[in-house]
Amino acid sequence: MTDPNAPRFFRLRCIFIEQGRLAMLSHLEVAHTLERTVRRAKLPFAVSQGFSPHMKIAFGAALPVGVGSTCEIFDLQLTEYVAPDKALAALRAASVPDLMVQECRYIEGKAPAASVAFPTSTYEVVFEAPISVAGIKVPETVTVVRKRKEKTLVVADYLVQPFAAVEGSPERVTFSLEAKPTGSLRPDVLLEHCTLPARTISITRIAQR
Amino acid sequence: MRYRSIWSEVAPLVAKAERPSRYINHEWGSVLTPEADFRFCMVYPDTYELGQANQALRILVNAVNARPGMSAERGFLPAADMCDALRQAGLPAFSIEGCAPLNSFDAVGITLPHELAATNVLEILDLSGIPVRAADRAEDDPIVVGGGPCAYNPEPYALFFDAINIGEGEESLPEGLEVIRSLRAQGASRRDIWRALAKLDGWYVPQLYGWRSADEAQAAGSWIEPVEPGLPITVRKQIYRGFAQSSGWEPCVVPFAEAVHDRLNVEILRGCARGCRFCQAGMMYRPVRERSADNVVSSVVEGLAQTGYDEVSLTSLSTTDHSQIRRILTRLNSAYEGSGVRISIPSQRLDSFGIDMAGLVAGQKKGGLTFAPEAGTQRLRDVINKNVTEDDLFGAIDAAFEAGWRRCKLYFMIGLPTETDDDVKGIARLVQQAYEHARAVVPKDQRGSIQIGASVALFVPKAQTPFQWDGQIPPEEALRRVNLLRHSVKYRAISINWHDPKTSFVEAVMSRGGREASYLVEEAWRRGARFDAWSEHFNEQAWRDAADSLGMDVAAIAQASYPTDYIMPWEHISCGASRRWLVRERALAEQERTTPDCTFEHCSGCGVCMDLGVDNELADERVLGSAGSADAAGKLGTVAGAATEEGANAVAGDCAVAAAAGADSAAVANAAAAGPIGGDAR
Ligand code: SF4
Repeated sequence: MTDPNAPRFFRLRCIFIEQGRLAMLSHLEVAHTLERTVRRAKLPFAVSQGFSPHMKIAFGAALPVGVGSTCEIFDLQLTEYVAPDKALAALRAASVPDLMVQECRYIEGKAPAASVAFPTSTYEVVFEAPISVAGIKVPETVTVVRKRKEKTLVVADYLVQPFAAVEGSPERVTFSLEAKPTGSLRPDVLLEHCTLPARTISITRIAQR
Repeated sequence: MRYRSIWSEVAPLVAKAERPSRYINHEWGSVLTPEADFRFCMVYPDTYELGQANQALRILVNAVNARPGMSAERGFLPAADMCDALRQAGLPAFSIEGCAPLNSFDAVGITLPHELAATNVLEILDLSGIPVRAADRAEDDPIVVGGGPCAYNPEPYALFFDAINIGEGEESLPEGLEVIRSLRAQGASRRDIWRALAKLDGWYVPQLYGWRSADEAQAAGSWIEPVEPGLPITVRKQIYRGFAQSSGWEPCVVPFAEAVHDRLNVEILRGCARGCRFCQAGMMYRPVRERSADNVVSSVVEGLAQTGYDEVSLTSLSTTDHSQIRRILTRLNSAYEGSGVRISIPSQRLDSFGIDMAGLVAGQKKGGLTFAPEAGTQRLRDVINKNVTEDDLFGAIDAAFEAGWRRCKLYFMIGLPTETDDDVKGIARLVQQAYEHARAVVPKDQRGSIQIGASVALFVPKAQTPFQWDGQIPPEEALRRVNLLRHSVKYRAISINWHDPKTSFVEAVMSRGGREASYLVEEAWRRGARFDAWSEHFNEQAWRDAADSLGMDVAAIAQASYPTDYIMPWEHISCGASRRWLVRERALAEQERTTPDCTFEHCSGCGVCMDLGVDNELADERVLGSAGSADAAGKLGTVAGAATEEGANAVAGDCAVAAAAGADSAAVANAAAAGPIGGDAR
């Protein structure tokens, strides 16, 4: 049932990059920073009702500390329509360079939340030197500690696209991991458990779908 | 050493550090001047999240950056894990903006925010490859300058600083740096720079003064002896005369890491003239200067727009004393209604007007209220000049619990001069009566939610106050009095909070020690003391062993009381309040007689205004009981001497914790301390 008198919101989906030193920020730090960015941009954001009102903003799946991205997502509820290019310009003027909004578009009010809509992430790894994909040895399982409990993850359940070479860039490879409702495997943790032919320089999320 | 970024070398360590965001720079508002002929790094001697909250750091970085050709950067002591990692890798401490080694700067400033930061000063100097003693520094090492609240007794830091800036640094610090710059450009020696600084108002150069023995000092009327002719024998604090007219909005950095007090701070007034006799901040920041309502409101609007913060704190030592506070809060309320912006006032008067104001900013969210009656009996409150009566307190409690608050914390001090067991029991009586008042106005079905607590701290005598001659009570005696208090409380709903003051002997020595204390600091640091304000790092043994090895009786330094004709080791530093006035205040304390607040009543002749050629600068008239509190007599209740803190790694404390609507005590002190190179009076 929808309430015809419910206030109308505009749901703006924003894609941003997280790169350089700022890849070292925690999810919470990124979230705080983006809220402040939205305020500086003076967008007409919606505020929740009640005891301690806060901005209606939702973030995509958390990026591990140390991993960069070209495709992070946050969804913002606006109380007024602002043309996407205007919103983008305002956000960019209020952003720090390495945490820069790249794209804004409106999405359906009922569209699934960014945090669950894109279970599969593709990562790009840059190595210190050119490597051959065959040189990467992937373990069958990875044991992680979560909430003080050990948990053994079967890599094949998560690694939906195995390591693949990037044409023309012999020092780069890509791979994709899928998040499951029961948990997920972090890209940096997977790499730590792999036998690698060279030292890694960076890990970047390059696609979410 | 050449100024350059060492980011590529420290990056791997930062990646592995406990909280990388402490070290990465690139925050909104961070400024780096690439070309400059003079580079200055302003250091807070503790971690990023504590230092970033410090208003002095921000103000002084801005003030120096505003000078043509000068560049100022921020510096912090890396957290313990990072200190160790840097040492192991053979890398120096570095600035934030340029990631440059501290010893590649022309000058390094270190603020002295509270008594437990001394070993951190040595830690950061050593980590930077700068000799910890000024006398051992080479010609091309940076000139190391200090300042801040603890500079009012500079002697425990005397060995480590080339020069110490006394008072508010907005103008005084850049002036001193100009002197260093021009002399360095002329190739002057370190000693020439010392001489030039010593002759500048507000600058103390400890290396140019010998230290007398106690007998010599008493005979000569001063502990210091110039090593050459032509040097001043008193150094007078400097104040920022343009404060009231200057904008309350100062460009600031918006941190990524969650810092302490991570919000917009607008300093709405500086100073507090209530004259609580234990309070150093009240003496240091006189006279009182208010920024006007128009200034404050436009500063808040501008600041929130530029930073994106959703909270603003109107900081000062006595925010609700501002003559236009009602106007300010009403205007801000209407400007930000429904926007999710929170307005907080860190201190309020202990009367119904204070509750009124707290109500204006609290909205629906009524957290805890804190008040600072400081002492349990009227007699002792008169001794300390805390002009608050029981009626004020109960009036405030009635108003607060009627308005919907359910939690209240009261701050007290134990060990105040002249305290008797009756005064200690008086704390219990007062808290119990407060509880009864709360019960009487709260509906029956909600009485279970009433929480009243008392937080008790040990009195630490402070330099430059009327109680500077009074000793601290021994730890065993403190414990006895606290137990007496505990046993005097009959209601189970009342909690008594006592922080075992393991660090209090260090605070007392730093607060009242002479130059010998700087040898103690050095020795304690050599034996592993650092991060003394962090309970998990405080190394009591290192301090005790250091004292033993130097043959120092730290208990005596903390506990000795002196007659008021005794010359104390900081009397060559003047905060403006005259010795004669301090002596008179101490005598009035003995007679249990109070002194009025000069911003409400007549001048009591402390001497600051005449000495500095200034006056209290109020935006409007301050009227007693201006807002419904019918009783006269300036019933005020903020500045506490309590040293408690909710924050996890709170800096254990010092003088000016304030009664806080929303339990944010440190803010007040923080604000007040903005002026000097100095930190957050805590
Ligand atoms: S000189 Fe008088 S008016 Fe000025 S601060 Fe002191 S007591 Fe107040």
